[in-house]
Amino acid sequence: MTLTDQPPTGAPVPEPPPAARAVDLVKTYGAHDAVVRALDGVNVEFERGRFTAVMGPSGSGKSTLMHCMAGLDTPTSGHAFIGEQEIGLLDDAGLTQLRRDRVGFVFQSFNLVPTLTAAENITLPADLAGRKVDREWFDYLVGQLGIADRLSHRPNEMSGGQQQRAACARALIGRPDLIFADEPTGNLDSNSSSEMLAFLRRSVTEFHQSIVMVTHDARGAAYADRVVFLADGNVVDELVGPTADSVLERMKQLGS
Amino acid sequence: MGRVTLKGLLAHKLRLALTAVAIVLGVTFISGTLVLTDTLHATFTTLFGHAYQNVDFEVRGKAAFTDNSGGGGGAVRKPVPDSILTTVRQIPGVAYAAGTVTGYAQFVAPDGKAITTGGAPTIGLSFDPNPELSALRVVSGHGPTAGNQVAMDAGTATKYHFHVGDRVRVLLIGPPQTFTISGIVTFGSADNLAGATLAAFDLGTAQQILGTPGHFEAIDILTRSGTDKAQVQRAIARTLPSGVEVVTGQTVADEATTSINQALSFFSTALLVFAFISLFVGGFTIFNTFSIIVGQRTRELALLRIVGASRRQVFRSVLIEALLLGLVASLVGLGLGVLAALGLEALLKGFGITLPTGPLVFASRTVIAALAVGIGVTVMSAIGPARRAVRIPPVAALADYRSDQAESSRRRIVIGSVVAVMGIAALIVGLTRPAIQLVGIGAVAVFLGIGMLAPVVARPMSSVIGRPLARLLGIPGRLGRENSMRSPRRTAQTSSALMVGLALVSTIAVFGASLSKSATSSVDEAVSADYIITGSNAGAGGFSASVAAAAAGIPGVSAASTVYNGEFEVQRSLATLTAVSTRRLSETVILRMDAGTGAPALAAGQLLIDSTTATTKHLVVGSVVPVKFAQTGVSTMRVGGIFKPNALLGSYLVGDGFFLAHFDRPLPVAVLLHTGGSTGATTRAVNAGLSAYPNLKIQTRTEFQKSQQAQVNQLLGLVYALLALAVLIALIGIVNTLMLSVFERTHEIGLLRAVGMKRRQVRSMIRSESVILSLFGAVIGVVVGTALGVAFASSLKQQGITDLVVPVGSLVVFVVLAGLLGLAAASWPARRAARLDVLAAIAAD
Repeated sequence: MTLTDQPPTGAPVPEPPPAARAVDLVKTYGAHDAVVRALDGVNVEFERGRFTAVMGPSGSGKSTLMHCMAGLDTPTSGHAFIGEQEIGLLDDAGLTQLRRDRVGFVFQSFNLVPTLTAAENITLPADLAGRKVDREWFDYLVGQLGIADRLSHRPNEMSGGQQQRAACARALIGRPDLIFADEPTGNLDSNSSSEMLAFLRRSVTEFHQSIVMVTHDARGAAYADRVVFLADGNVVDELVGPTADSVLERMKQLGS
Repeated sequence: MGRVTLKGLLAHKLRLALTAVAIVLGVTFISGTLVLTDTLHATFTTLFGHAYQNVDFEVRGKAAFTDNSGGGGGAVRKPVPDSILTTVRQIPGVAYAAGTVTGYAQFVAPDGKAITTGGAPTIGLSFDPNPELSALRVVSGHGPTAGNQVAMDAGTATKYHFHVGDRVRVLLIGPPQTFTISGIVTFGSADNLAGATLAAFDLGTAQQILGTPGHFEAIDILTRSGTDKAQVQRAIARTLPSGVEVVTGQTVADEATTSINQALSFFSTALLVFAFISLFVGGFTIFNTFSIIVGQRTRELALLRIVGASRRQVFRSVLIEALLLGLVASLVGLGLGVLAALGLEALLKGFGITLPTGPLVFASRTVIAALAVGIGVTVMSAIGPARRAVRIPPVAALADYRSDQAESSRRRIVIGSVVAVMGIAALIVGLTRPAIQLVGIGAVAVFLGIGMLAPVVARPMSSVIGRPLARLLGIPGRLGRENSMRSPRRTAQTSSALMVGLALVSTIAVFGASLSKSATSSVDEAVSADYIITGSNAGAGGFSASVAAAAAGIPGVSAASTVYNGEFEVQRSLATLTAVSTRRLSETVILRMDAGTGAPALAAGQLLIDSTTATTKHLVVGSVVPVKFAQTGVSTMRVGGIFKPNALLGSYLVGDGFFLAHFDRPLPVAVLLHTGGSTGATTRAVNAGLSAYPNLKIQTRTEFQKSQQAQVNQLLGLVYALLALAVLIALIGIVNTLMLSVFERTHEIGLLRAVGMKRRQVRSMIRSESVILSLFGAVIGVVVGTALGVAFASSLKQQGITDLVVPVGSLVVFVVLAGLLGLAAASWPARRAARLDVLAAIAAD
């Protein structure tokens, strides 16, 4: 189900804007003779309160898309929006504010500041912004993620799965409009992966958190509400209500 | 964010400590100097305050010259006739008045050697029996009451085991005399006056042997209690002839304190200059360390940016790290500085300079200066790296991010060139003007500019320097060379501190070699005498005026000329006047005339000037210049000749007849003897003939030249010792960088070990890199320093540095030493690298 498919209701209720969208997004790398078009005019929307997976083969531009939409990288042309805010119009201070208030991140690795404890890492965005941490929410998150007994540990004293869960808690603590997760389970064993993905799933279902996750793992994509497929810098397909099998099926088709 | 900074600091205690050492040493130097000079200042203020605390007024000759900047120990004054004392005593309100006399008097130790003080004067003075007036306190025996008695300072008495009743020989302006010690005295509460020896005589004797009979140097006055002091002062002033003044005791104490403080401030300025050099070099190592730290923390800083840190927060975090580091280092330095001051004080005592005991003065200014300078240097040095940290984009946190710095290096070359050129311009202007501050600023700018430009040549130079190492050591040497080449910027930054250190050392080496050569050649060019006799108490006090007469009577001595120095005013500015004997002048002194005549002009009482003075003052032979003497007042002199500049002769020269007519009992600075060659026999004859004067240093011309060179070398040794601190800081910088490099390359070193590199080879790889870094800095430093030294030495040509010498041998030794020091600096990092656990190193992220 996508926003465009929504049946019209009686009164003209203004549609809530998507959590993020890209309009004709182009990103090229390299100089004149060796130009690589990592994004070739991408148009895509990520709905609010949904879990969207972005898939595609290596070099399809899925990470570049995420970086451009999160304001970490500047697109060559086109527009990227978080909510109704066009991020291309923001200066560095504006982007910093955006990252503080409206976006959360989980990466494949190196999510945590090595010198800080897990608890300090989780509250870092709030500390940086000079905000008070919602203690109840904090306790709930660390409880749910099973890292309550790891809070005073440094990252090098935690397992990979615990580190990723702490990163999740940090992304969620500020209740951002949108969480970008870049291969969050890429370095994890299958058990830790499943726990992590289940938690992301629950946070969408229970707290209406919006999540965009880049992955190359079909089983991981199956936790999402919708899968967007990218190839050669373009959206080539999408799948609503995916299962591992249906995702694999699509990937095979794309790969051929 | 503050927590991130703090935790980051605490997580790297070793790095913190190594970086802090540079600042700690510099601040120790500064605070030690300030504490010591403040303490000395307070001590002398108290000392003179006590000495004059009861003296209400002093009557003395007015300062002879308007310009009193030159000379040691204040204004030159004419003595007052003792008839004034009678007049003053009759003025109502005056309770007590007594004349005072001071002059030259040097004790002879029981072993027959003259007692020297290592620079402090040997003072003879009149003893006043009124304890209220006198600064001297009798601690045993009694004051001198007869012409054959002397009171000795407790310092000398203790050191040489003199007791009341002993007989002691005393060297005077006139022939030496023997006295009986009537008592032991202290100056106020101190055993002696800052290392000077004190010989106190009764007033009449003092007038005869120290001063001018019938005259006092000053008259000290006590008023009756309850009188209006200002009124008494006015009454005294009314009775005084012109040229004589009455001032308060407080004024005299203040003047004495001021003149001591001027000497102290010269001393403290010199020490502070070296402290700042150390801190400047320390600044380079801090800059380098922070650059590396920011580089290593790129991902972490980018991650902070991603989770919402603003640019300002990142900038601030780096600066706060520097601030905390600077604060801790400065506090440690401050504490060590107090210990250093205690150490220096002990050292001075070891040299025989006994200071009156007083508590250490720890002024708030010391704390403020130490903290401000220590923190300031650290924070300023971290600004560059902090700006680089700010430019790290958030995407840098992602594993595949690669940055490219081509543009910033172009900008650095432009800025570096501009700074270096401006520095050179400032140096040239500063040296020609001359303006010493401008020279300092210029040198700093040159060093900064060259530090910025060094990365350009770092790659090719490391390649060249490393080639022999690579050939010698095989793979480890080649890897060391590659490591030093792969980051030219870091190589240059790391070695820049050593560059500055060695540049300064080389500057001093060139300057010193030129000075030493000039000293030798100025003796050759100005002295034809075979023997040069000077006082053995270097720099302070002279010897008896009767030496020349005694020497002239020695068989084989064909000419004996006494050389005097004195202050006079010429064309309204203070200058030093040198006098030589006009009889048989050419046998003792060589005058190379540019114009006019030499000996005849001197004999005619005319003034000779050197060509530099002639040029700057626009004087020619026949010019008549206004002069002023303390004793005889205003007059004019005719310029009779112009001679080629020579450091020994000075700028103004007169005959001894003229000199003695205008100066009151001057002390000789040297006696020149002509013997027609110096053989062992003549040397024995001269020594025997002058055995009554144990305070003489009798040297042949060659010996004199050697001792002149030795003096230069002694000074150089001191400067080298002070600069060694800067070099030490530079080396600590290299240790620090290597440690950081080893840490950074853990994975790589693990890999090398895994494929079969031996521990020994790992060590030799790290050592090679260190040697290359050190040699790179040393070579650039020596080149820059030589250029600076040549510039300094040439600019002082008119001041007597006539020869320019580049001591190639010493400079090569410096480079070799730098290489060896580099080897030493590598030992710890190399050991650490060799000890890495192979498995853990490979597993490390």
